[in-house]
Amino acid sequence: MGTNFYGQLTKALVISIGTLVIIPIIFGFIGFFLPSFGYFPILGKSEFNLNYFHLSFNIAGISKSIILSLFTGLVSTLLALFFSQVILLYLFKTRAYNYIKIIISPLIALPHITMAIGLIFLFSPSGLFFRLISPWLTGFDRPPNIFIMPDEYGLFLILGLILKEIPFFILVSLSALQEFSAKKIFDLGKSLQNSNFSSWCILIFPLIYKKIRFVIFIVIAFTASVVDMSLILAPSTPSTLAIRILQTYQSSDADSLFIASNLALIQLFIIIILLLFWMVLEKIVSYKLSFIFFMKILSFKTFFIKKIVVLSSVILFFLSILGIVSSLIWGFSANWYFPNFFPKSLTLDVFTNFYNENKSIIFISIFISFIVSLISSLLTIIWVELIEILKIKKIYLEWIIFIPLFIPQISFLIGLQSFIIIFDFDSYLLPLIIIQLFYVIPYSFIILAPSLREIKKEIIIVATSLGKNRLQRLLSIKIPIVMSSLLTSFAIGMLVSFSLYTPVYFFGGGRITTLTVEALNLALSGSRQDLGVATFFQIIIPILILITVAYLSKKICKWRF
Amino acid sequence: MLINIRKNLVKLIFNLCLIYSFIHFIFPSFALERNENWKDVLKKASGQTIYFHAWGGAKNINSYIKWAAGEVKKKYNITVKHVKVSDTANVVAKILSEKNVKKNNNGTVDLVWINGENFSLMKSNNLLLSEKWIFNLPNSKFLDFSNDPSLLNDFGIPTDGMEMPWGVSQLNFYYDTKYINSPPRSALELKNYIIKNKGRFTFPQPPDFVGTSFLKQILIELISDKKLLKLKYVTQQHERELDTLWQWLDEVTPHLWRRGKNYPSNYSAITELVAEREIDLGMAFNIAHASNSISEGKLSNSVRSYIHDKGTLANVHFVAIPYNSSNKAASKVFANFLISPEAQIKKQNKDFWGDPSVISINKLSQKWKNKFSTLPRGLATLTNEDLRMKLEEPHPSWVKVIEDKWIKKYGSSN
Repeated sequence: MGTNFYGQLTKALVISIGTLVIIPIIFGFIGFFLPSFGYFPILGKSEFNLNYFHLSFNIAGISKSIILSLFTGLVSTLLALFFSQVILLYLFKTRAYNYIKIIISPLIALPHITMAIGLIFLFSPSGLFFRLISPWLTGFDRPPNIFIMPDEYGLFLILGLILKEIPFFILVSLSALQEFSAKKIFDLGKSLQNSNFSSWCILIFPLIYKKIRFVIFIVIAFTASVVDMSLILAPSTPSTLAIRILQTYQSSDADSLFIASNLALIQLFIIIILLLFWMVLEKIVSYKLSFIFFMKILSFKTFFIKKIVVLSSVILFFLSILGIVSSLIWGFSANWYFPNFFPKSLTLDVFTNFYNENKSIIFISIFISFIVSLISSLLTIIWVELIEILKIKKIYLEWIIFIPLFIPQISFLIGLQSFIIIFDFDSYLLPLIIIQLFYVIPYSFIILAPSLREIKKEIIIVATSLGKNRLQRLLSIKIPIVMSSLLTSFAIGMLVSFSLYTPVYFFGGGRITTLTVEALNLALSGSRQDLGVATFFQIIIPILILITVAYLSKKICKWRF
Repeated sequence: MLINIRKNLVKLIFNLCLIYSFIHFIFPSFALERNENWKDVLKKASGQTIYFHAWGGAKNINSYIKWAAGEVKKKYNITVKHVKVSDTANVVAKILSEKNVKKNNNGTVDLVWINGENFSLMKSNNLLLSEKWIFNLPNSKFLDFSNDPSLLNDFGIPTDGMEMPWGVSQLNFYYDTKYINSPPRSALELKNYIIKNKGRFTFPQPPDFVGTSFLKQILIELISDKKLLKLKYVTQQHERELDTLWQWLDEVTPHLWRRGKNYPSNYSAITELVAEREIDLGMAFNIAHASNSISEGKLSNSVRSYIHDKGTLANVHFVAIPYNSSNKAASKVFANFLISPEAQIKKQNKDFWGDPSVISINKLSQKWKNKFSTLPRGLATLTNEDLRMKLEEPHPSWVKVIEDKWIKKYGSSN
């Protein structure tokens, strides 16, 4: 009777947690899907029609925005994937390979906008590069009338995106590489007289690709609908579709909600088109004949290709570092006018002023990401544990939690907004935390769940025979075993939450702002010095999170398993 | 003669009635009663938190609001949270959507910084607290409503006591005297300047407030019949009138900063561009903006302000309480503080904000009169004499048309 009761209770818990997570996700989808056809009963509209497609496509310059989104999404993903593989390939057999993770982790940890801000500091006509060559080379005593960024084709947006996505692809490829004996395969390829490049392409890359395909799709969905980076790096006349959606949604026109929802649906179509196109590309590349064709190209002039590719990888790496460094200098500069390459004097005033003005924002940013990540890790553990109690082998619905990563953020948030309205929350913090969870849970889950599920059954059986009950087993056996994954998942969760822009912008309602939102505002209108200081915090906080977690995991995990 | 006396008497009585009703209209309740009510308001307000939605793109304004919030916390135990807005139209949209879902009591916006087309939109959608609340604020006695019609009319729309005047603005430009001798002082001169100095002029991207105001300024200078702008915009009748503006922009746009393919997002961004000398001329709606930026160390102290010979757009900006504000009493108390001599003098001080006061010096005590008259004017702030040429705002219906057309023609075509 007792066991039966607990069995029922667990079942009920699993179902309720499942529905609590799934229902908002479904609403996040239908919340923009239905209004895009004119259906939104709360506003008294309950008739379906296709009128809003007509209105959407009549918005001035909308086709250009759509093309821009398609182009930047596709090209940045392709380039980032390409460079990540090239960099790995050239470091693969070197000693540096062991250190890649340490070098790229901080780059991954930084919010996207930090990279975008770095590019402004470098490439604007009054930026570092023009200062470097002025006035001695160019004769410029004032910033030249040169139109560089944001360029009309979105090339800078692509640059900003790949600077962030390359390290990300490298990281996921690294963990994929650990899952098969890459070195042996690589050597085999070499022994068959293939070049490094071609052995990587034929033998290693397909294996990596299989493992990271899922991640690539997420990156496509992200880059084709990114909001924060677009605001800084995309052209503004017109901007990408994601920005147009945001503008439409916020305008005071009567139909704005419906048109914005409709655009959000179009944004989703863009992602679907890109994914389909990508799958066609996969087919073409893996087709035997074209494979041979590629091989021919690759073996032809590999030396030249190698030079260019290596050079550009190095340039890309230094761009990201330089961007960060120059943002930092700006934060502590005084009297830094064009064409001085270095500020006349350095000061802490801007820093202290900024800190005093924005203390609460800094702390709330850390607080929110801490709470969100904590809840997310806990939920994952509870979920895995409950599923185990029920002795269910595989939950087919688990993939649903990844949906928020595939639906464009802006679309999903508009959908959720319509859903949240119904509840009429008094607080802003609570909905914000809930919404952030949908973006953090996938990461916690993908890191933590496998390690929890891989714990050897024997250990648990021994623990049970020692009279430990389920809770004790979880706390004193399982969690210590997965401690390093738990800490990683916790850190990643915090970083993801910390760098989120659109959800905070949407659901913070201006009442809750985080550092990421504030930094973006400064990038659009503030002084460069303040922006520099904001960027300093944007950099230092993620790095501190990483260091703390590394320290903890060394200290806690050393003497366990 | 007798008839004459009688006539005059009738006239007199009629006038008295008129004055009486006028006073009654403006001050619906008597002083004593007002104070009684005010005590209740203060009591209700104490301990409450309000969310003040106000454009947040300028550091000095944000700091000023922070200071004011600190003061009302001390004085009245009210917490004011500044919600920094990038476009006030978004706030209107928010309140509108709250009304649509019938969130009629605990709205998210308690007080909003507003004027012009956003006010007109809110008024016509009944989104504002009416009850002529502004006349019940004790400090409203410092405003000269009877002699200054601009305090009760916003872009020509009667405010009906739904928004409290907060400050006075006038579009003005600035330049660095070290590099430029005489700046262009009319739309035509400006056009020539832009064509001659390629890439050295720009304006905030409409629908930014200052960007749109700049377009209105050009339109007013170019339009053949200014009176048309006082009327409600009707496409069939007025569409052609905008052609002069589009022609001007067609000629100018390719020579703007970044070839008119990109625009700064607001006037703070413009200041940065002038400071870096990416562009030559800046613009702002705050007459002390240049002085202010000089004291902040952002602009060089050789920068000076100027306006166009025919004058520039001038208007009053207001604060209003949405109909569904959750804390109307506290919002009133804060609005009342904002028009106190103490808050207004701080606002006018160029080291804080530099926004001219809306209260009438004549209505102040001698002590405050002295304080106001000895307040230093900024290095680059124009005198009242320099600023006397003021242009009136067009009817708000023109704004949306200008913005939409601009976006269509220049904001989405590259």
